[in-house]
Amino acid sequence: MAYTVSQSPHFKNSATTQRIMLDVIIALIPALIASVLIFGFFPLVVAIVSIASAVFSEWFYNFITKKPQTTSDLSAVVTGLLLALNLPPVVPLYIPVIGSIFAIMVVKMLFGGLGKNFANPAITARIFVMLAWTAAMTTWIKPIDLSDGANLFSYFGMSNYDGLTSATPLAIIKSEGSVASINLLDLFLGTTGGSAGEVSALALLIGGVYLIVRRVIDYKIPLIYILTVGFLTSLIELDIAYFLPSILSGGLMLGAIFMATDYSTSPNGFWGVIVYALGLGILTVLIRKFSNMPEGVSFAILIMNIVTPLIDKYIYPRPFGAVRKKLNFKKNKEVKAE
Amino acid sequence: MKFTFPHGIHVKDNKDITKSIPLRNLDAPEKVYICLSQHIGKPADCLVKPGDKVKCGTLIGAASGAFSANIYSSVSGEVEAIADRVNAQGIMCKHVVIKNDFSNEEVLLPSLDLDKVTADDIIERIKTAGIVGMGGAGFPTHIKLKPQDKVDTLIINGAECEPYITCDYRLMLEKSKEVIAGAVWLKKALGVEKVYIGIEDNKMSAVEALKNVAHSDIEVIAVKEKYPQGAERQLIYSVTKRKVPAGALPAKAGVVVENIHTAYSVYEAMELNKPLYSRALTVSGRAIDKPGNFFVPTGVTYDFLLSRCSSEGDIKVAKVISGGPMMGFAQASLDAAICKNSSAVLFLTKEETDFNKPSACINCARCARACPMRLMPMFIDSCVISGDLQGAKKYGLNNCIECGSCAYVCPAKRSIVQSVRQGKRLDRASGGK
Repeated sequence: MAYTVSQSPHFKNSATTQRIMLDVIIALIPALIASVLIFGFFPLVVAIVSIASAVFSEWFYNFITKKPQTTSDLSAVVTGLLLALNLPPVVPLYIPVIGSIFAIMVVKMLFGGLGKNFANPAITARIFVMLAWTAAMTTWIKPIDLSDGANLFSYFGMSNYDGLTSATPLAIIKSEGSVASINLLDLFLGTTGGSAGEVSALALLIGGVYLIVRRVIDYKIPLIYILTVGFLTSLIELDIAYFLPSILSGGLMLGAIFMATDYSTSPNGFWGVIVYALGLGILTVLIRKFSNMPEGVSFAILIMNIVTPLIDKYIYPRPFGAVRKKLNFKKNKEVKAE
Repeated sequence: MKFTFPHGIHVKDNKDITKSIPLRNLDAPEKVYICLSQHIGKPADCLVKPGDKVKCGTLIGAASGAFSANIYSSVSGEVEAIADRVNAQGIMCKHVVIKNDFSNEEVLLPSLDLDKVTADDIIERIKTAGIVGMGGAGFPTHIKLKPQDKVDTLIINGAECEPYITCDYRLMLEKSKEVIAGAVWLKKALGVEKVYIGIEDNKMSAVEALKNVAHSDIEVIAVKEKYPQGAERQLIYSVTKRKVPAGALPAKAGVVVENIHTAYSVYEAMELNKPLYSRALTVSGRAIDKPGNFFVPTGVTYDFLLSRCSSEGDIKVAKVISGGPMMGFAQASLDAAICKNSSAVLFLTKEETDFNKPSACINCARCARACPMRLMPMFIDSCVISGDLQGAKKYGLNNCIECGSCAYVCPAKRSIVQSVRQGKRLDRASGGK
């Protein structure tokens, strides 16, 4: 009988790429449910269309380039779902379709597929459709409020209720110049205007805790990112009242937990991660405060994604037992050192 | 204080298969194939020719220079041939083939006056007996005992962190007094004050057994169960919190590490005058139905072990491994023979071992979080594959101890260790530039 010969180790754990992607999908389900509860069933339709076109794009790309099929690793599903949750609750359906095709074909597959993309496909696609269809991408419907004239038909978009538009909390803060009119409970639960998946901080935090417990993501990136935004905003405004509104509003939770932690576009070393997360926080605050856009998470993530290869090139851990470069002058004296 | 090291992984240990089976002697086969290169360094010079009569303990290979070791016959009988055969590492080397006459005649080394021996006498005896590091590397012990740097600590490595292997555990349990006696001789040879015995805390009965017989100057320490706790640098850090400088030998940190079985063999050489020609060995895996821990003579082939440990041959065997599953060598055939440094032979079923095809790296950095040497395995892998040796070295290629933690946790099932070995080979070939 022939025995298999291979290099060690001959023993591996059960983790697979597919399982990791499945965990991310599971972690996004609370946010999807929240968006349905808040805005009705249309976000679900957007999500299905978006996922379907993302998976089809990957399959089609592999088909025409005669490459092995990779759709079973579920990463296209994650991209499609993330993009859908980043869109306004009600959008023309060609937006998720074109967005997904752009995310998969251009950002992911053209650069070599899973693990080789230079930026997070979903965030880049969101920026792309945002610039292409700015009006549609900034039309926010009001959350369905049963105590305020809505009825069960509103969930199916069958009443005239969904014609009402609303402003996002960040836009309100920016135009009013204060956080006085912001209801923190609404922000936390998500009953405000905004993208389908970004509004409910509660649902996103549940997903985030799941990912951290399953050790899918590094807790340092979301934690440092979110805290940096909170403290820096408070510092710039010289008012600690800005702390909670700044971290609960906009796409920060969604971006910090699900998109900034994208493996291939975040650094891998301890200090690299810290530089990356701090950079994300600082850029987000600067864009929110000083640009004419109310929201800065997407651009902050895109910029730091592009910086990541530089971080990995210059900031990497010192091997166990290697002496610091400065200590080299002392040579062998400090054997027990460190 | 916690006796552990940064990073590392938790591995399913599978030691249950053989943990409770006592060590027993395995009878010698008709023929043994004794490799003349059972250690790191130059192969021993062959002292016999076909037709020569030998006994158990006859010197058949003499150490060739300082960095080599003596080789002894493990059976009595007649030398049949000097043949080129493949060893467990897949390298062609000279083997002495001896036909067993089953008379079991023994020759011993001259006995020593144990009350008067000096450190040099002990080292000389260890050199004569052909003792090498028996944990796997096979580094000649007499060289380790004469370190270039000032050494103040001796650590006896009983971590046995590789899954499946239990022979060191059984040795500590059943031969506790002998192991401690060997440790005392090693301590005397090195002239150090402090001796630690580091044992993983999943083997508490071995810790207790050794504590019961240890003298006050030998401290038995239960280190945390974590892979690779038995790697030299990691064990030294766990026990003493010293870091061995990268690229240097442990002696640079004032420590010498010896394997538990080496200590036992030192005891045999000193007090029983027996040179090293047999060892404890675990034969395990779910593809065989009679696994166990055995004292086997060197030169026994894997074929013979399989015939003794399985009643249905190799029907279920998918992979044969010399050593543990994390760092051991897969065998293409059963021709290889047991050497001084073989700690286990595993016969694994298809379900037990990994047959996944590698897929694209997703950069999840699990390997970097697992790496006990704090390297960046994913970048080393991609740099080696794209031929960028400088890049691979920047991320720590030559600091890698090849423990396999990175490949164990990799969700994309990439063969990272293979890339590392390839990279190191290319680096050596290019003269390290």
